[in-house]
Amino acid sequence: MAGMSRGWRLAGLYAMAIGLGLASAVVALRWPWWADDIRVGPWRASAEGGSAQAGPYIRALVARIGLLALSRRETLYFVADRDSDGRSLRSRCRYRIEGTAPPARWWSITAYADDYFLFPDEQRRYSAGGHSLPAPRFVLHTGPAPAGHGAWLPTPGDRGLVLTLRLYQPEAALAADPARWAAPAIRPDGVCT
Amino acid sequence: MTAHQKIRWGRHLLIAALLGLASHAMAIWAFPRLAMRAVLAGAPAPEPGAAAYFPPPTDHHARRIVMPSPDLLYALCAIDLGAGPATVSADAKLGSYWSIALYADNTDNVFVLNDAQAAGRPVRLLLHRPGTAVPAYDGTVVAMPSSKALLLMRVLVDGSQPIERLDAARRTLRCDQAAR
Repeated sequence: MAGMSRGWRLAGLYAMAIGLGLASAVVALRWPWWADDIRVGPWRASAEGGSAQAGPYIRALVARIGLLALSRRETLYFVADRDSDGRSLRSRCRYRIEGTAPPARWWSITAYADDYFLFPDEQRRYSAGGHSLPAPRFVLHTGPAPAGHGAWLPTPGDRGLVLTLRLYQPEAALAADPARWAAPAIRPDGVCT
Repeated sequence: MTAHQKIRWGRHLLIAALLGLASHAMAIWAFPRLAMRAVLAGAPAPEPGAAAYFPPPTDHHARRIVMPSPDLLYALCAIDLGAGPATVSADAKLGSYWSIALYADNTDNVFVLNDAQAAGRPVRLLLHRPGTAVPAYDGTVVAMPSSKALLLMRVLVDGSQPIERLDAARRTLRCDQAAR
């Protein structure tokens, strides 16, 4: 009986260890504080995301939030889930995204919900960018209702908001050192509690 | 607890720590491969007469792959090099951005060719596994690090051209088994 009890204790210990190992992997991918090796203003990017040089953690993170991403030479992906003051983005709040058109062949900003899928919008207003915003300076609004003027991406409901800035074929200097780029600012447009 | 028991439990704790590390590493290693396997397994069959799949324009109903781009039209092929090399061809005569990217089964983007690099020439690729016989081929030969792979063609929808023209461009994509 005592032997069986010790056996169960050992099994429990080993099962707990395996469970902790799996749980820590989930935590590392759910809150990837370790992955932001490029930060420009509120935007974050991974230098190796999508490339064959990516390590196992970056590969796993790409599989979670950026499956089928292109390598940095072809496309730079910047993601923001906080505003320029570090506050979490919420879909119920209005934001003003302002900056200079990035030096890339083509670029766009897309609004995603916190599950990394598009917000529902029957008019397909999912993104705005080089094809629809003025250059070189642009202003883009997000929020549940239009700001009254200018370009606007609808973000209905009350949940986390994730903005993705895609730069296809960025200029060589930007691709080589994205951290030196003056990225668009994301600021609350009015009070949101 | 005797010294002998302490040593024994210390050994068990060490084994537990190693099991925890191993399970963590295994999960991190396996997750991208499982994600790609799911994408490859779920890739719809090509339309009759076509050798690639052409999904409808991306909207908020697209929930298979995270962060879908609403600014692109896609075409894709699930590729299996287990039976031998495969060929890819496309002739997207557009003045706007398009690219063809290849992904290994661990999510790595191992190859990309865009419109600027193609410079108006038709795309002709031969994909093979290293160490396999490669037939004579008039085109670019790409050695793939995995037998299962995904090809994704992106065509930019920027409003400068009719969507019908962009759709016709992506429908020039073909993925076939290479002739031996």
